[in-house]
Amino acid sequence: MNRRAKRRQEAEADARRGARRARAQDGHASISRTADLFAAPAASAAPAPPAPAPQTAGRKRAQQLWYAAVFPQLTEADADLMLQKLCLHAQRFTSFVSIEPPNALLLEIKGSLQLLGPPETLHANIDACWRRLELPVRSATAPSTLAALWFARSGTHTGRSVVIEDLATLPGRLAELPIACTAWSIERLQTLRAMGVTRMGELLRLPRAGLARRLSQAAVQDLDIALARQPAPRRAFVPRERFRERCDFESEIETVAYLEKALEPVIERCAQFLRERQAGVQTLRLTLRHREGPATCVHLGLASITSERRRLTDVLTQKLGRLELPKPVRSMELKSGALQPLSAGSLDAFAGLAGSGGRDTAPQLVERLRARLGEEAVYGVVSIPEHRPEAAWRRVHELPLAFPLRAGEKTAAQNAGDGMPRPVWLLEAPLPLADGLILEEGPERIESGWWDGRGVARDYYVARTPVGAPRQPQGAKLWVFQERQSRRWYLHGVFA
Amino acid sequence: MPGGGWPTASLIEVLLDDTGLGEVQLFLPALVECQRRVGQTSGDAPWLVWIAPPHEPYAPALAQAGIELTRLLIVRPASATEALWAAEQALGSGVCAAVLLWLKGTDDRWLRRLKLAAEAGGALGVLFRPERHRFESSPASLRLVMSKGEPETRLDLIKVQGGRPGPVELGSP
Repeated sequence: MNRRAKRRQEAEADARRGARRARAQDGHASISRTADLFAAPAASAAPAPPAPAPQTAGRKRAQQLWYAAVFPQLTEADADLMLQKLCLHAQRFTSFVSIEPPNALLLEIKGSLQLLGPPETLHANIDACWRRLELPVRSATAPSTLAALWFARSGTHTGRSVVIEDLATLPGRLAELPIACTAWSIERLQTLRAMGVTRMGELLRLPRAGLARRLSQAAVQDLDIALARQPAPRRAFVPRERFRERCDFESEIETVAYLEKALEPVIERCAQFLRERQAGVQTLRLTLRHREGPATCVHLGLASITSERRRLTDVLTQKLGRLELPKPVRSMELKSGALQPLSAGSLDAFAGLAGSGGRDTAPQLVERLRARLGEEAVYGVVSIPEHRPEAAWRRVHELPLAFPLRAGEKTAAQNAGDGMPRPVWLLEAPLPLADGLILEEGPERIESGWWDGRGVARDYYVARTPVGAPRQPQGAKLWVFQERQSRRWYLHGVFA
Repeated sequence: MPGGGWPTASLIEVLLDDTGLGEVQLFLPALVECQRRVGQTSGDAPWLVWIAPPHEPYAPALAQAGIELTRLLIVRPASATEALWAAEQALGSGVCAAVLLWLKGTDDRWLRRLKLAAEAGGALGVLFRPERHRFESSPASLRLVMSKGEPETRLDLIKVQGGRPGPVELGSP
């Protein structure tokens, strides 16, 4: 092996080590915050990062630094898959890689600078990575996502790459770009050309209000984002991996209790695996294999995305508790569903860390109930703005567990029949009624839905059954209606 | 009521034979209040869990009463034992403000477990049962019988911990 190749290999290994450390310490992006909590011990064990370089007077350092790579040769058909593969390569340099359809990647590299060198070096290293893959690429580094993208798009194959770290010089450099680099719609670009604008500089000089009126608010917003005046949150790429572990038992396991014991370390490793990837899962599958006969499959659904060991254990225990082993188990395999990024909302890390034996969180409760009673048995209801009583509500199985609701906050659209009386119970289907009701309030005429073939024309009343009436709730307060065509009476609800 | 208003972190038993006497409406203001008050301390609004209600709870009516629907969970267990188990889980979880449970019958031992769970989880448990259980012993801290009177619903307190039992005058439900 010649010396140069060896040196390059060493540098690559260094870069990889560095990138890994950068991932642990990096805290700028929302996705990374979740990891920080878990990775805190590891990060403190690592050597302290060198003190930041003193700021040069007159230079304004950007909060973020984005590297954009545009791959002009990616075809529509395979771009998606290719970009995902390229993300895996890019993740050596930073923990925050994001896909920009149709053919570009964005890497946040500010957090990696301390370990992977000054921006120019890092930029060149990332470029070298694409070159080794023999992929033609145009790249640029700038303090904002859109600026980096625009510079990358306007670059030539052979031209020097643009690396801008200084916020103060950004507007000046942007001014040189042709407006086509924005990849705005043809109509919008034509409007601009008709106005005599061909370069970004001319565009930036125009008054904002007029621009918003002539083009759109979105265009002005794009300019703000490009100039790093406005943040533009992005979704980080999370690799499509799955956790999978198989366990062969030396002697066959016959009871569920032993199985639970054997699962404990596997779940621990699964949680660890998820934490390392700053991701969570919503489904798990446990396959139990017997000496003969079909394998037993246990499917687990979680109420929200999680990476927490306690919740995974909880649901598994609940499911196994109801499982009857048809035959002794020879081996088991735990397989996770697709990994999903943990968002700040799905983060129940505090609850999990604080109370290992304490209280539950709402998702935990829902999971436990669903694990035993079945998915369909636990649901919520929403109110829908609709005149027909039976269409004014709906069951929801996707519960809003992830985002916290502040006290006193109201989310439901207040649709309450405009103050007209509504019963607590609604019957699944209206029940034909005999006469002999005492009408107390009404009528409330509801006539709606002729357009979808399930039209109603009814007069609703609040009524009471007289005490002593046969086959009917004694003296109950009911919600009844008379169908206007047939003049028949129906029971539709009960004021419980 | 001693102290005024419904007790919290305890079990209330409502004995009635038929629905439609305003028995849920009796508790709706308390449920709204529970959701609001507990929420102020923990930051996240607490949940209401209704287990095995006799009909579908009608969302517009609940919204009208001020219930936060995004924090309402309805559970339909297949058996009474599962209903009791679910109630115990919900009461003891600490994320629920109140748990309403409809049952045909149950034994004393289960009720004791529910009461303990309610106290541990700081939640209000309300159990609706047929009136024939009136003469059985019950660990509930409050027991009341609802029946149809003329013209209004009659409400009898048959057990009040720290208070005196007796009939209660109600406005029209």
